[in-house]
Amino acid sequence: MSREIYDRSWVAYLLLLPTLVVSAVFLYYPAARAVELSLYETLQFGTRRLWTGLGNYEFLLTSGDYHSSILITLGFSVIVIIGVMAVSLAVSFLIYEVTTGQASYLVAAIWPYALPPAVAGIVFFYILHPSLGVISQPIEALFGVNVDWFTRGGQAFVVLTVAVIWKQIGYNVIFMIAALNNVPDALGEVADLDGVSRTQRLLRVYTPLISPTLLFLAVMNTIYAFFHTFAFIDILTQGGPGGATNIMIYDLYRNAFEFNNHGLASAQSVILFLVVGALMFLQLKVSDRYAHYG
Amino acid sequence: MSLSNPTAYVDELTGENTDTDKLLVHLGLFTAVLLMALPILIALLVSTQQRGVITSPADLLPGSHMVHNYYTVMTDYNFAVYMWNSFVMSTIIVVGKLAISLLAALAIVYYRFPFKNLMFLLILFTLMLPVPVRFVPLFNIVTDLGWYNSMLALTIPYLASATTVFLLRQHFLSIPESIVETAKLDGVGPLKFLVYVLIPMSKGMLAGVSVIMFIYAWNQYLWPLVIIDSQSQQVTQVGITLLQGDIQAGELQWSIVMAGAIITLIPPLLALIAFRKPLLETFGVQQK
Repeated sequence: MSREIYDRSWVAYLLLLPTLVVSAVFLYYPAARAVELSLYETLQFGTRRLWTGLGNYEFLLTSGDYHSSILITLGFSVIVIIGVMAVSLAVSFLIYEVTTGQASYLVAAIWPYALPPAVAGIVFFYILHPSLGVISQPIEALFGVNVDWFTRGGQAFVVLTVAVIWKQIGYNVIFMIAALNNVPDALGEVADLDGVSRTQRLLRVYTPLISPTLLFLAVMNTIYAFFHTFAFIDILTQGGPGGATNIMIYDLYRNAFEFNNHGLASAQSVILFLVVGALMFLQLKVSDRYAHYG
Repeated sequence: MSLSNPTAYVDELTGENTDTDKLLVHLGLFTAVLLMALPILIALLVSTQQRGVITSPADLLPGSHMVHNYYTVMTDYNFAVYMWNSFVMSTIIVVGKLAISLLAALAIVYYRFPFKNLMFLLILFTLMLPVPVRFVPLFNIVTDLGWYNSMLALTIPYLASATTVFLLRQHFLSIPESIVETAKLDGVGPLKFLVYVLIPMSKGMLAGVSVIMFIYAWNQYLWPLVIIDSQSQQVTQVGITLLQGDIQAGELQWSIVMAGAIITLIPPLLALIAFRKPLLETFGVQQK
């Protein structure tokens, strides 16, 4: 490559050094140590440890609580992915179609990208609070339900999911709008001429055309649901009630810092690493397969 | 029905592009963005009231305690300190990430050296190691370094950035080779090349990456929660949880909690609004 205009290798490594050192010390080394720690049983609140081999993994794979945590995480992720993508696709398509005020609508739809999860959590905690909630009382009046997500697992799961979806709409709209803008105008116009309704046009013409972006977003939304929802859970439900919102990352946190069970928490870290690995692999596969869309 | 204007003909068939249809699109969009903003609008209203207990629709009018609430949360509840800590943390992370990623991307694009692809892969692979994957050992290492409860713990582990290196590399590869050739013929050294050629040609991309990283850093929650213990070092995200603890102990009004939530939201929201153009362009690049 003719871009390679410099050839002093030691200077190149000097330039890479800061990134490599930080990666080695704070990323690779702790990740390797997590694998090691996962092979020990933690005793006496982390002061002693005992070799247990795959004991922690065996414990997790046979533990009913961990099974239910895995199931909750999967169900939660699927609902978050479908929910956020359905809402975002509808909003993005309307912004794409609207002729006046497009720029303002775009800002009004992407701002949740900047929303801190802790802020989203506390605001939802307040407006849906069972006894003083601004929104919970109208909901009770309208739907005849008793809003009580502090003690009912199903309701807590719904409140958490809605808050988590809300925050992720901005990120999805950013990518969907970019993808829609890349669709050649001619294709949209042909569909227009064929007299297809707006919903049909979105589902039959645009959705297939932007499918590479949708698949990319599905993977990113999965990573979000698995790894970036901790603050929501910590503020809204703390994994409860009765473990109804105890997704894998929250269970890991509690084992590590509430129960000081470092061996078990590290085994959970390794399991989560396998999840990220699989997701990243999937993403590479997907982007390879759809590379011809450009 | 006019056949000379097929679009108009179709519009009559589908009812689109008529005034009613346009109105419906606006109505749909307006409802959607209003629903998305509603929780924050309520929080904003409540933050101006005396108590923050809503019993009738009249309580949803703006109150007169706005200044008092924001002042109280900033002083009595330490948010001035939290906000400052968050700001310092985010700035160090953004500047640090950009600086060391620029150097790494310079090496990866403009140098010929052994094991180059391996080095690039090693940097990219860190994407697979989010904090939860190395949670307990990272805590131990940072504590062993004596960084517990310090700004170092909040920032240094975050400085390596696979995303930033990747985006900068993509951008550098799009700079015309003729410019690079000229630099070579003129015998420009690598640092001068970086400062006088590459950085000026990457302004939009650097602005976009900075906003993404600022929002990312500002919104961190899990790591500060476990690594920071004292109130004087804490960041504003965890400050919200501390307010929640106070209110459950019955010591404080919801209006003050909502004031804390609103000021925590303001910096990343302003960053997004002010730099939306470079942000959108940078995400556009990431997509390809």
